[in-house]
Amino acid sequence: MTFDLTILAPHIPFLVKGAVLTAEACVLALAGSLCIGTIVAALVTSASPVLSRIAYIYVDLFRNIPFIVQLFFFFYGLPEIGIYVNAFATGVIALSIAGGAFTSDVIRSGILSIDPGILEAAEVSGLSKPTIFRKIVMPIALRTSVRPLGSVFINLILTSSILSTITLNELTGSAKIVASDTFRPFEIYAVLLVAYASLTYLVSLAIGALHRYLNRDQTEAA
Amino acid sequence: MISVRGVRKAFGTATVLDGIDLDVHSGEVVSILGSSGSGKSTLIRCMNGLEKLDGGRITIDDFDVSRPKELAEARKRSATVFQLFNLYPHMTAVQNIALAPVEVLKIPRKQAEADARALLDSVGLSARADAFPAQLSGGQRQRVGICRALAMKPRYLLLDEITSALDPEMTSDVLAILAKLARDGTTMVFVTHEIEFARTISSRIVFLDKGQLVVDLPTAEFFAADGGMAKPRIAQFLSKMRKD
Amino acid sequence: MRYTAFTSYDIVLLAQGLGVSLALFLATTIIGLLLGSLWAIIRFYRVPVLMQIVTVFAELLKNSPVLVQLFLVFFGLPAFARLNVTPVEAAVITLSGNTAAFVYVIAVSAIESIGRDQIEAARVSGLSRWQVLRHIIAPQAMAFAIGPLTGLLVNQLQVTSLISVIGVVDLTKIGNILNLRTLKPFIVWAIVGGLYYVMAKLVAFGGATLEKRLRAHTAWKGL
Repeated sequence: MTFDLTILAPHIPFLVKGAVLTAEACVLALAGSLCIGTIVAALVTSASPVLSRIAYIYVDLFRNIPFIVQLFFFFYGLPEIGIYVNAFATGVIALSIAGGAFTSDVIRSGILSIDPGILEAAEVSGLSKPTIFRKIVMPIALRTSVRPLGSVFINLILTSSILSTITLNELTGSAKIVASDTFRPFEIYAVLLVAYASLTYLVSLAIGALHRYLNRDQTEAA
Repeated sequence: MISVRGVRKAFGTATVLDGIDLDVHSGEVVSILGSSGSGKSTLIRCMNGLEKLDGGRITIDDFDVSRPKELAEARKRSATVFQLFNLYPHMTAVQNIALAPVEVLKIPRKQAEADARALLDSVGLSARADAFPAQLSGGQRQRVGICRALAMKPRYLLLDEITSALDPEMTSDVLAILAKLARDGTTMVFVTHEIEFARTISSRIVFLDKGQLVVDLPTAEFFAADGGMAKPRIAQFLSKMRKD
Repeated sequence: MRYTAFTSYDIVLLAQGLGVSLALFLATTIIGLLLGSLWAIIRFYRVPVLMQIVTVFAELLKNSPVLVQLFLVFFGLPAFARLNVTPVEAAVITLSGNTAAFVYVIAVSAIESIGRDQIEAARVSGLSRWQVLRHIIAPQAMAFAIGPLTGLLVNQLQVTSLISVIGVVDLTKIGNILNLRTLKPFIVWAIVGGLYYVMAKLVAFGGATLEKRLRAHTAWKGL
């Protein structure tokens, strides 16, 4: 029963490389989730019953099926229909689609919480629907959704560890390799667990700061 | 000219407007009085197309607000100021005012913002031009709301109980601005509880009761003892409002 | 072709996988509920030292990937403590602990929603700590927590799919096996996904039904 962290020292550069890959995948997936989430939220809240139904089915499906199943569906399925992309791209696509389902829910409730009077004011001033969505609805919805979107992002980071199952050597994948090289799985996974927890803690601090910054003008005058 | 012909509007089984006829000509200031629930605000919301009519027709300079294609033109000619301001919370006063001129009238941003600052200056808010709505008092917010409406250079200004949510001193600030607009010949349709003020600035007074237009008289006649006052419903309403 | 095509036996395989997933889900849910509630009670009575340990432990579990937790238990524990841990044991330990961490958070806010003044009033009236817990806190906390718990369980059901990575033959592992044999990923993963979806919907439906009944119960008691 020894707990010796020094044994990991020579492997740190390799692990950092994995962490960078995790960060890249998460940032790209965050961007993808926001794009998909925005479009889907617009569809769900749209006046067209068909579009909103389709959008709802997407959200419902991808929220209720395990991510690893979705990931395998894309990883093994995409080549089947002639789309050959590497594991990294597959991972980012799968994370974006799954994240998009959660993101759209957050944005949707952000949209629904907007005071209808504000939208009426925009409507009677003659602004077109796309303009109202772009200039009024989205900026307000995103500001109020910073914290819940942050939780989605943190979940995205934690979920990205599953990408190690499709041969991608991101942080968890790299750790697996180090664990089998050093025969010290306990040390490496304990460090990894703390590393993820610290990372998500830092992200949550950053989200709090971003929320305060974006809403700095929304506090009542003294 | 705003022309309202036989307008009916119901919410579920409750009839809110029951065959309203009303004309508002250029240069007129028409005040719409009536107790709460009389349909005053709904009438304004029908004029700017926020409510669908269940019957009748409203045209603004011959553009029918019930027709989607004509509604856009009708809305270009009219502008609305709301009871609860409805300012865009994420934009400064200037941005609130300049948005529609830039997006709808295609005025260059720089010029639209300069115009917005000039408007804010005219209502005594030049120092608060870059403040966000949350940083303004209610009276200041409503003045921004008026500027936002005026920035569209509307022929008709629709004002929906714009002082109901304000303290008395803030109310007088806002009313002073309206008085100035009236003197400058701005056409206004004014839903209000401020009877004395309506008396000073209106050319005509319309009285709604239970969704029906009971009286439509020039201001002097409305307040004359043998005119509108002769109707018991109005006398009762006026005496009640004056007590409040 | 003979070896790759789907056979009727595959249905049995899928049913077995489904059974393993469900059994582990139910077992770890029960353990997680008990453990998480226990942690919340430790926190409520402000048990020194234990309370701090529980707080840190729950935070770590909530904010790290379940997959890493699973690796730590399955690969780490045997190497560190010279214990023999089977995949199923590792799965039970990890999923129970993970569920417990989230149950703990929900239970703490449920207890807080009751308000200490109500609890103090009950204590003053002569009820023992246990009686307060059983008659005052537990019923109200349950009514408050059932909604968030349903959401949590729908999520934890999906988390069980990760145990396939350490070799537990659950529904996802069966999916893997069928996928490699038939080389029909779309069909295999659509079926597996569909089964998970149906299970998730059943859990959500069960939670909603229970919530309705609990609320009706509390409303009736309030009269």
